[in-house]
Amino acid sequence: MMMYHSWDSQNAWLRQILAQNYMYMNRQQAEAMGIKDLSWIWLESKTGRIRVQVKLMEGVEKSTVWTWNAFGKQRGTWGLDADANESNQGFLLNHLINEHLPCGDTGRPITNSDPITGQAAWYDLQVKIYPAKAGEVGIWPNFETIKPLPGSVRAKDKLRYQTHKAVGVSRSLKDILMRGDTRRDK
Amino acid sequence: MKLGLVIDLDTCVGCNACAVACKQWNTSGTTGLLTDFEPYGKDSTGVWFNRIRNYEVGDYPNSKTVHFPMSCMHCDDAACVTVCPTGASYKRELDREDGVMKKCTLCVDRIYDENLPEDERKPACVMTCPSHARYFGDFDDPNSEVSIISRERNGEQLMPELGYQPVNKYLSPREKKNVGTYVNETNSIKAVKDWVNRLVTR
Repeated sequence: MMMYHSWDSQNAWLRQILAQNYMYMNRQQAEAMGIKDLSWIWLESKTGRIRVQVKLMEGVEKSTVWTWNAFGKQRGTWGLDADANESNQGFLLNHLINEHLPCGDTGRPITNSDPITGQAAWYDLQVKIYPAKAGEVGIWPNFETIKPLPGSVRAKDKLRYQTHKAVGVSRSLKDILMRGDTRRDK
Repeated sequence: MKLGLVIDLDTCVGCNACAVACKQWNTSGTTGLLTDFEPYGKDSTGVWFNRIRNYEVGDYPNSKTVHFPMSCMHCDDAACVTVCPTGASYKRELDREDGVMKKCTLCVDRIYDENLPEDERKPACVMTCPSHARYFGDFDDPNSEVSIISRERNGEQLMPELGYQPVNKYLSPREKKNVGTYVNETNSIKAVKDWVNRLVTR
């Protein structure tokens, strides 16, 4: 994955490789449900629902969907423009996943995380999927655009990095062109 | 001397490390700086010499994902060079900021830099590839690593029918035994049959 959450989401190069996530779904399953590639779908769990863009693929089991999580960013955050892909096409699964497991009779909420690692349980959620209606486009839910902090500056519209000191080729052009030329040796 | 790359599509996992390493090295090298436009805005673009395409082959459950890194093919008979009216193109990535075409030079400022240790005189993409899917060398030398591996694994040029004689070669994914997919089926007859089959083969 090119970036995850706060890790590298402001990296200008990595976000050119991928700046939004999709909900990946089995093509045959989607076709049977009348869901088209790159269309918008609703994903609903016990906790809530989200509207996301779907991408159909072959390499996923029929009753499973998956995504690169944590692409979604509230508009105006993370130093990105309000119209950045992350804030308009990228989404979060947080709205679907409860932080706690049902506590039953104990009255004490149990954290919804892996019992061994403590990692949040992002892998075992049951969801219902249905196509969005005509005109229902874009991610949902949406929140207000965060206002920039006083004194903050908009990032440059052009970047020209130099990551290390440029190295010179310490050989003559003739040497570069001729050395190792097998035709010359024949 | 005919320098070029061999790219192994069998082991490439599509991690993009080669593309980023390329960008990092070359933005500072002889072809730098490589400009990025609207880096923190919508649909950001920039100059890259190496990009990874991703494809799926076959239908579920017998499908396979193929990651396809593409950069300058270093064609022997490069139409992009002969067609260029100003001579600016040596065998293609337009930097709008600098107004020139730039492209992969196989990291000319690495492969000829004698200040570098000899085993590091390779393009940045080859140095960084974590799955060792990229090889660099001289195709004119029949005993070079690239010649040997493209001979053994039947290295292929892309679109040879165009006659541009690309130097870079690709190794096809190996034929692998299909790994079974767990099918969530609630058929009791099938379940009994499967159980009997497992018992018999034991």
